[in-house]
Parts: sequence; structure tokens; C-alpha cells
Amino acid sequence: MRIHSLRLTNYRGIDKSEVLFSPIGLTIVEGPNEIGKSSLSEAIRLLFEYLDSSKRNEVKAIKPVMSDVGSEIELEAESGPYVFRYFKRFHNKPETTLTIMKPKLENHTGREAHERAEEILRETIDIDLWKALSIQQGEAIQQADLSKQTSLSAALDIVAGGHRSDLREESLFDNVREEYGRYFTEKGSEKKELQESQKAQEESETEVTFLETQIQDLEKDIVRAADLSRELERLKKQEQDLHVDVAEYIKSLDKIKGLETVLETHRLKLESAQKSEHVAKRDKEERQDLIDLGAKARKAHVELCESSTSSTAIVKKAEKDLDKAQSEATKTEDGRKESELLLNLHRADFDYFNKKLHLDQLKERKDRIDRAREESALADELLNKTSIDKNTLETIKTAEIELITVKAKLETGVPNVLLRGLTNFELQIDDKKAIVLKDEELSLSVSDRVRVTIPGSLQIDVTAGSSSFDLLKKVEEAKQKLDDVCNNAGVSNADEARKSYDVRREALQAIARQKEIETENLRDLTYDEVQRKVIGLGKGVPDYLTARILIPKLPENLEAAKGEQQRAEGDLEKANKEWEEARMKLDEARNVRDGLREQYQKVKVKLSLKAEELNRAVDELVRRRKIISDGDLESEHSKFTKLVHAEKENVKSAETDLSDKEPDRVKALAETAKGSLGTVEKKREAAQNKNTEVRTRLKIFGEEGLHEKLHVAQSHLDYTRQENTAMIRRAQAAKLLYLTMKEERDKVRRAYVAPLKEKIERLGRLVFNDSFEVEVTEDLSVASRTMDGSNVPFESLSGGTKEQISLISRLACAMTVSKNGGASLILDDALGYTDPERLKLMGVVLAKAGKECQIIILTCVPDRYSNVGETTVARLG
Amino acid sequence: MIRFLHTGDWQLGMTRHFFSEGVQERFSQSRFDAIRELGRIAKKEDCQFMVVCGDVFESNLVDRKTVSRALEALKEVPVPVYLLPGNHDPLNAASVFCSTTFMDRKPAHVHVIEDTTPIRVVKGTEIVGIPWMSKRPLQDLVALTTGKLEPIGDTLRVCVAHGMMDNLSPNTDDPALISLQAAENALSQNKIHYLALGDRHSLTKVGDSGRIWYAGTPESTDYSEVRSGFALVSTINDEGVTTKEVNVGRWKFIEREQVDLNTKEDIETLRKWLENLEDKERTVIKLRIVGALSLSLYSEFEELIFHIKEVLAAAETRVNNLIVIPEDADFINLGFSGFASCAVERLRSNVEGSGPDPIASRDALSLLVRLTGRER
Repeated sequence: MRIHSLRLTNYRGIDKSEVLFSPIGLTIVEGPNEIGKSSLSEAIRLLFEYLDSSKRNEVKAIKPVMSDVGSEIELEAESGPYVFRYFKRFHNKPETTLTIMKPKLENHTGREAHERAEEILRETIDIDLWKALSIQQGEAIQQADLSKQTSLSAALDIVAGGHRSDLREESLFDNVREEYGRYFTEKGSEKKELQESQKAQEESETEVTFLETQIQDLEKDIVRAADLSRELERLKKQEQDLHVDVAEYIKSLDKIKGLETVLETHRLKLESAQKSEHVAKRDKEERQDLIDLGAKARKAHVELCESSTSSTAIVKKAEKDLDKAQSEATKTEDGRKESELLLNLHRADFDYFNKKLHLDQLKERKDRIDRAREESALADELLNKTSIDKNTLETIKTAEIELITVKAKLETGVPNVLLRGLTNFELQIDDKKAIVLKDEELSLSVSDRVRVTIPGSLQIDVTAGSSSFDLLKKVEEAKQKLDDVCNNAGVSNADEARKSYDVRREALQAIARQKEIETENLRDLTYDEVQRKVIGLGKGVPDYLTARILIPKLPENLEAAKGEQQRAEGDLEKANKEWEEARMKLDEARNVRDGLREQYQKVKVKLSLKAEELNRAVDELVRRRKIISDGDLESEHSKFTKLVHAEKENVKSAETDLSDKEPDRVKALAETAKGSLGTVEKKREAAQNKNTEVRTRLKIFGEEGLHEKLHVAQSHLDYTRQENTAMIRRAQAAKLLYLTMKEERDKVRRAYVAPLKEKIERLGRLVFNDSFEVEVTEDLSVASRTMDGSNVPFESLSGGTKEQISLISRLACAMTVSKNGGASLILDDALGYTDPERLKLMGVVLAKAGKECQIIILTCVPDRYSNVGETTVARLG
Repeated sequence: MIRFLHTGDWQLGMTRHFFSEGVQERFSQSRFDAIRELGRIAKKEDCQFMVVCGDVFESNLVDRKTVSRALEALKEVPVPVYLLPGNHDPLNAASVFCSTTFMDRKPAHVHVIEDTTPIRVVKGTEIVGIPWMSKRPLQDLVALTTGKLEPIGDTLRVCVAHGMMDNLSPNTDDPALISLQAAENALSQNKIHYLALGDRHSLTKVGDSGRIWYAGTPESTDYSEVRSGFALVSTINDEGVTTKEVNVGRWKFIEREQVDLNTKEDIETLRKWLENLEDKERTVIKLRIVGALSLSLYSEFEELIFHIKEVLAAAETRVNNLIVIPEDADFINLGFSGFASCAVERLRSNVEGSGPDPIASRDALSLLVRLTGRER
């Protein structure tokens, strides 16, 4: 659509205004703020969108304040093949007229005019695109939403060289998407309707399964009921048989009971007879025991009397033996004591000789120590006299050696010539003949000069080079030093020093020797202790001789004393042994006597007791016999023995009668039969209960109409299954169709992105630079800009750049569709964020775009568009 | 001479999955109506009693309502009725004949044959019924029962039984099959004079004696039945047995194999055939369609079936062997040239077998055609 003119009357604050537009190229509508520039684009939209009678707020808003007049909008334009004039008055006296001048004249009024205008618009331009491309005030930064612009898509299709899309295809795609949306979410998940359909099927399946299970349970119950009937029959028969068996056994048991009573009676009689027989036997045995006891006591009494007599003689003999042993023991003890005294004397003698010897030795050791002490005192004196110790002597010796050395140097401090014979030859040394043999060396000292002549061959003069004076001086110094040292030591020369040192050394050795002697003779004692011992022993030893008894005589010496002592020890040992033996014999004899005495006492007590026992036995027997005689006891016993025998026979016979009836077997069988009967009764009762239970259940559920219920459930399941299958099928069809169409549509979109991108970049390079590139998405928006190799997402660009790229992309779209009768581009105060430098460049872009499409710029800042080349300028206000 | 009405397999309470709720009710009602119709026939034909040879009820677990309605219908039957438990309603612990509803409401002239003891129905005539006590007997009950009978001279004996005759059954291993030979022996030995059978839903004469018959079900139940919807008026006299078939049923089950659909003309032919069907509301059809149709012809066919389903009692179609091919003609008027056209091409190639999921692709194309139509 290209707008030729727009006239507004009583529109917001505008009384009357008409703007003429250039059908191609740029038209700039200038005017200060609030003069109604934005109203121009608004008016065009309202004109086509609302009926003249509309009460919408947007329409109400254009009515002038404080004035009751109608707002008028009149537009002259061409769109596609149509050239028309379209007029509307709102609010007061509403009116709509449409006059179509081309291709053929048409006049319409009222609603018809509105609808016809709409039709033309729909037929010739993409209204959505037209709206999307227009920039309203303050919206400059956003990119146009071009994703649904069919005319743009169609135009791009052509540019991209593909098939031209029918405009209805997009609409069809919307329908397909809507159909898909019935079943799936945007992300492809199933929607509630589809899920509920599947759930309904599952519920139906559950219901059918439930009913089938119920029917199966009933079928099982039917089988169970039949089984239970048979089981009950069987148990009834079993019960009857067992009743018969039990009755039989009870009869047999009654008979057995009678026999058992008979047996029991005989057993009781037998027991009674056995007890009487036992008593008689016991009485008889007791009488015999009493007789035997009397006899036994008498015999024992006699034996004890005999024993008592013989014991008295034995005890007497033992006492004699004891006296004899006692006297022997006394005798041997005296001998032992005598030997002991003699041994003590000999021991004292031996001690005396020992002490005497020790005294002599101590005296001798003391003398040696005393002598050594005297020598040591002399040596100390000598030591005090001489002061030459080892160090002093060494100093003197060193001084002496130095003197000798210096003297020797004086003598030998000349060059030395060593002659070595390679063969035997003769030579002359200072005119003296000499012979040097092979491998022999000859040393010559040269104090002043020496001449060596090898006759007939060679003459060698050797001359000493050092000064004899220096050496003489050193000799003097050495001598002086030696003298000083000697004087200091108190000796006249070195030899005297040596002698003095030797004297000192010997004195020291004497002192050392004295110490050795003292140590050796004192041993572990001190000198005082030695002295005290000598004094003590010197007193004690002579005293012994005075105190000693005269006989026996004192032995001659230590050896003799020792011999006497040993002999006395032997004698004492012997006397001890004899005494010990005599004492043992005495103990033995005493023990024998004591034992015999004790035995004798025991026999006497026993004898007394036995005599009493014998008396008691005799008395008891007499008493018993008075009560019942021995003969009566015997006949009583014999009578009961016969009775026991007779009763035993009776018991045996009753036992045989009873065992013939097999009581245990019969009892066990009766017990078992009763048990079995109880079991069978319980089983029958349980089966009966079960049967009642099953039949009741069958009665209750059998008439519930499960058959029909199942059918209803199955039919419902069939229905839901079909519904579900159909729905799934519809959903799958919708999904497949949607996805296939989307893929194809996206494919086409991808193809036509290229021409739009190319156009945006061509325009953009005028503003930015030759490296300017953009990434255009499939919904035709700019995703990022690349410049000088740097890629920046659209959203991260500066406000100005975003505005410029948005405008460029709109211009590119408008240029793309303009030849196709597309939209005119209305820019309402765009480029507010763009700096002056860029504005200039954007002017070039607008000028270039204006050559291909109609661009209407509404602005209150005309200078912003001073660089857009040739334009039509309209001024408002 | 005696005359009685021989029927069986009423299958009261029978349900069919392909019936909608309303149709099912009609179908059930027709079976109760058939009882009344049999009563009228019995009266009209001077029958002395009626024997129902098993499967009176579809199941022992039928609803009380079904039992009540059956007994209501039986009240109107003017002759004594002898009901035999069959394999569908055996005389077991859950037997419908022992249910409270049945026991409480059973009319006096209605009798359940509970065992094989001969029942004297009228003077000189007795019935020996062989009821099924379980669903699966393990022997030939007829041979077993007739084997124990003694030949009889002064009384006519009608044996009422249920089960398949061995000469008619493909399953020779079934131990419950009724031996034709044994049955004919019993007839020739004068142990019985007529064998009234139930179980087979088609009216069938068995053997050559003319005394062994299946009366069939009085109202059709399935496509496989050959001569269903009948009852038999049987007369026994000194000269032998005569039978008269009486039509009772009103429902029809029609199955057509190989309905070939390739052209518009084929669809028209089918349409005419369907239109010519009589008594549509009691007619059930099953069509096995073969051939190949374009997408638009298939839509037409679907429309036809959709319409006929509303009219018939039920219509089942099997289209597994029908191929639907999207043809150019289907899309020629859509006027697509852009991406929609490419999508159509892709889906068509899927349908023609070169792509995945041809059925979903065919559905997708149908949807596209539908949505385009809506767009117009």
C-alpha cells in the first residue's frame, strides 16, 4: 500500500490537518511535539480497524476534549490494483465512505464500505507485516516480529528461487499446529486429553480383569462345592464305620474289665498271704538270731579271758628289757662327755701354738716395715739435697747438644764432596793419595779448599763459601747458654748434673721400695693394728701356759698339738655313736612296753563288756520263749507258706484268662477308633462349614449378574479401547503432519533467510563497514552482528546499534516486499538513540531504501533526517 | 400319539460385544419375546408340552433381572415346560435353577430336569432328561443313560439331551461327544423313541432315523449359524416321527467375505446392497473389505460405514486388506506450491511404502485434506 494523502479533522488536538505523501521515496512529516504526528499512523490503523460506531477506548480517545464534534479521517492511497479514497467519521454523526477509483469505480458506504476496505487490505497487503514494520515512538530498539509474515515469506521464497508459497499454507500450518496442540504440548509431551483417554482404557481393563477374576473365583467355588459334597459323603460313610467299630471295642472292653477285677482280687489275697508269711518268717529268723547271739557272746567271753592271762606275762618281760637298756644308755653317755673334755683341751693347745706362730710372724713383719721406713727417711734427705729433676736435666742436655752441634758445624760446616767409584781407580786429595773402589763412596769435607786430582785426567778444586766467624759466634752463644742452665740448676757442668740426677733417681726408687715393703707386710692391716696385735698376742700366749692343767702334757709343737686334736676328735665321734645306739635301744624297749600295756588294758575292757552282753542275751531269750515257744514259731511260718503258694496259682490263672482277651490291643484299637472318629467328625464339621460358606458365597455372587456386568465392562473396554486407539491415531497423524510440515517450512525458511541477510548486510555496510555481517534466524530476526571479526549477540549491542540494525532490517523487509505491493513503512521519531555521525550514514540507508518503497518519517527533530537525500517534506502545525 | 414343541439354546442373557447398549437391550428382549412366541406356537400346534434342550440361560451367573424376565415370559407359555441344564447353565452349586430368584418365581408348569429319572408328562409318555451337572462331562452322557434303560413297549419315551453328536463335531477327542451309533441303537431297541437335542444352534436332523434332531436356537446369535431362528413341532405316533419347522427368529447375522472395493462404482454397489437390507435394526453385518482406494474414495467409504452403523443393529468392518493410496486427484485442488506441497509429497511417499509408518502418514494426509477443507 502506498499512501497519497491523509486528512484529519477534529482528531485529538488537531482541528484540521492534511498531509501529502510521496508515493515512492521518503516523506518527512515535521512538527513539534504533541502536534499530532503520531496521530497519523494511529489514524490509519483506526480507520481500517474500527467501525464508525465503535465505542472502544482507543476510538473514544481521539475525540477532542470539550467539543462535541465528530473526528474524521480521510485517506487516499493505492494498494495492489486499487486506488481509493476512504473516509470515516467517529463519535458524532458517524459515517463511512469508500470511493474506489481504480481499477474500476466503486462507491460504498457504511458497514459495506468498511468491509470492502478490509477486503482490499487483506487482498493486497500483509496487515501483520505492515503493523510489524511500523516503528511507534519509543519502540525503536525492538526488532519487528516477522515470524508470521506471509507476504514477506512469499517474497523471500521468490528471491530464494523456491516455489512460491500459497498464502494459505501458513494459515494451514497454523491449523495443523493447533490440531497438534490438541494432543501435545509445545515440547512434545502428551496432553491431558490423551493421557486421560489412556487412563480410561486402563481403568476399563482393570474393571474387566476384576470381574473376570470374580467369575473365575466363582468357577473355582463351583468346583470346590462339588468337591466338598463328595468329601462330605465320604466323611459321613467313614464316620458311620467308625461308630460301629467303637461299639464293638466297647463291648470287648467291658468283658476285659470283669476279668481284670477277678485278677485284682486274687492279687490282693496273694499280697495279704505274702505279708503274713513274711511276718512269720521274720519272727522265726529273729528267734534264731537271738539264740545265735547268746552263743557267740559266750564264746567271745572265753577267748577274752584267755587273752588277758597271756598279756600279763608279756608286759612283765618288756619292763625288764627296758631297765637293761636304760643302764646301757647311761654308761655310754658318760664316755661321750669325757671324750668331749679331752678334745676341748687339745683344741686349746693347738690354738696356743697357732697364736704363738702368728705373734712371731707379726713381729718380723713389723721389723721389716720399720727398717724400710728408716731407709726412706735417708732417701728423703738426699732428695732434698739435689734439685736436678728430669726436666732440668733435659734442659741442660739440650743446651749441651746445641753446643756440641754448633761446634760440630764449626768443624764440619763446609761443603761436602761425595766421590762414588764406577770402577777401581786412584786419585789424589790435597796431594794425598787415595783409592776409591768400585761402588764405594768417599766423602770429603771442605772447610776451606780441597783439591781432588785424578792423575793424568783431571784436577778438581773445591772451595768452601761460608764464613767461619758466624759459626764461632754461635759456639760462644751455646756455651754461654749451657753455663747459664747449669748455674740455675746448681751444678757446674752437664756431667755433674747427670750424676746429681742419678742420685735423685736412686733416692726416689728407695722411697718407692719402702712403700712396697710396707704394703706387702701390712697386708690388710694398718701399722697400728699390727702393733696392737703384737702387744695383745705377746701378752696372751705366755698366759695360756700358766693357766693350762698339767696332765696331759702340752705337746711339743704345733704339729704335735694338731695330731692330738685329731685323735681326740676321733675318740669323741666314736663315743657319740655308741651313746646314740644305746639311746635308740632304750626308746625301742620303752615303746614295746607301752604297747603291751595298752593291749592289756583293752582286753580287760572288752572282757568286761562281753560279760555284760552275754548276760543280756541270756535274759532276752528267756523272756521271748516265755511269750512264744520256738516250735510255735516254726508251725506258723509253714502255714502261711502254703497259703501264698495257693494264691499264686489263682493269680496266674486269672492272668491267663485276661491275656487271652488281648486287653492292650483292644484298648489301643478302641482308643484309635475313638480318635479317628473325633478327627472325622471335626473334618466333617469343617467341610460342612466350608460347604456352607462356599454355597453362601455362590448364592450371593451367583445372582449378582456378573455375566452381564462383565459384558458391560467388556463393551466399555472395547469402546474405550477404540476411542483410545482412534485418539492415539489422530494424535499420531497430527504429530506426523505437524512435524513434517514444520520441517519443510523450516527448510524453506532457512533458504529465504539468505536473501534477507544479504539485503540487511548490504544496507548495514553503508552504516558500519565492509566487514559487517549479521546472523539471521529462521524467524527472520537478527541474532548477532559480526564486525571486524568480532561477533556480538544482538541483545548485547548498544542501544544505538540495536536501533540502527532494527531499522535496517525493517527497511530490508520493506524493500523485499515493496515491489510485490507490500507495505509502506511508517517511522515515528525513530533513530532517537543514534549519534550524529551515524545519523548521517543512516540517512544514506534511508535514501537508498526510499528508492524501492514508500517511507514515511514522522519527526519533531527534522535535523535528524537532514541527510536523507531527496525527500518530500510535509509540515504539521 | 404325542406332539410337543422341541426347542433349546435360548441363551437368555447372551451379550454381544459389537452391540451398543440400546441394541443389546433389543437383542435381549427379542430372546424373551421368542419364549412367548414359542408359547403361542405350542398352543397353535396343539403341543402337549415343550422341551428346552439345554442352555436356557447363557450362564449361571446371569443377572436376577434376566431370570425374572425369563420366568415372566414362561408364565405365558400355556403348556408344561421342561428345562434341561446344559453346558452353559449346568446344575452345579451355582446353578441358576437353584437361585433364589428362580426358585421363588418359577411358575408351576415349568420344571427343571434335575436327573435322569423318567418323568411322566402325560399318560403314555415320559421324558428321560439328561442334565449337565458340570461344564465338562467326561463321558457320553446319552450312551450312559440309555445304556441303563430297559426297552419299553406301552409308553413313548422322549429323551431330552444336550451336547454335540460325534458325526457333527470336528473335535473327536471330546469325551462328552454323543455317539450316533449308541443313540440309534437305543432307538432301535425301543429304549427311547425320540432324541431331542440342544447345543447346536442350527436346525439339524441327525442320522437317518428321523428321530434325532437339533431344534437350534429360536433367535440367531452368530454369523456362523446356518439355520437358526427355528423350533420343531415333533409328533410321535405308531407310524413314526414327523417334524415341522417353525420360524421364530427375527434377527439376522450376515457376514460377507471379500467385498472388493476399488472404484467409486464398487462403493456405490455396496451402498445399494446396504440400502436394500431389510429389517435393518435387527440385522448385524460383518464385511471383510479387500481392494485399493484413493484417499478421497476411502473417506467416502468411511462415511458410508459411519452412516450404516447408525441404521443397522451392528456393522463390523475388517479393512486389513484394503489399501488406501493417496492419489494426485486427492491433492490437485488444494493449490499448494510451497512447503505444504513438499510435506504432502513426503507423506505420500511414506504411504506408498517407501517411507516409515505408512498408516500414520495416510492419516496425516487425511487430516491435511480435512484441515484444508476447513480452511476453504
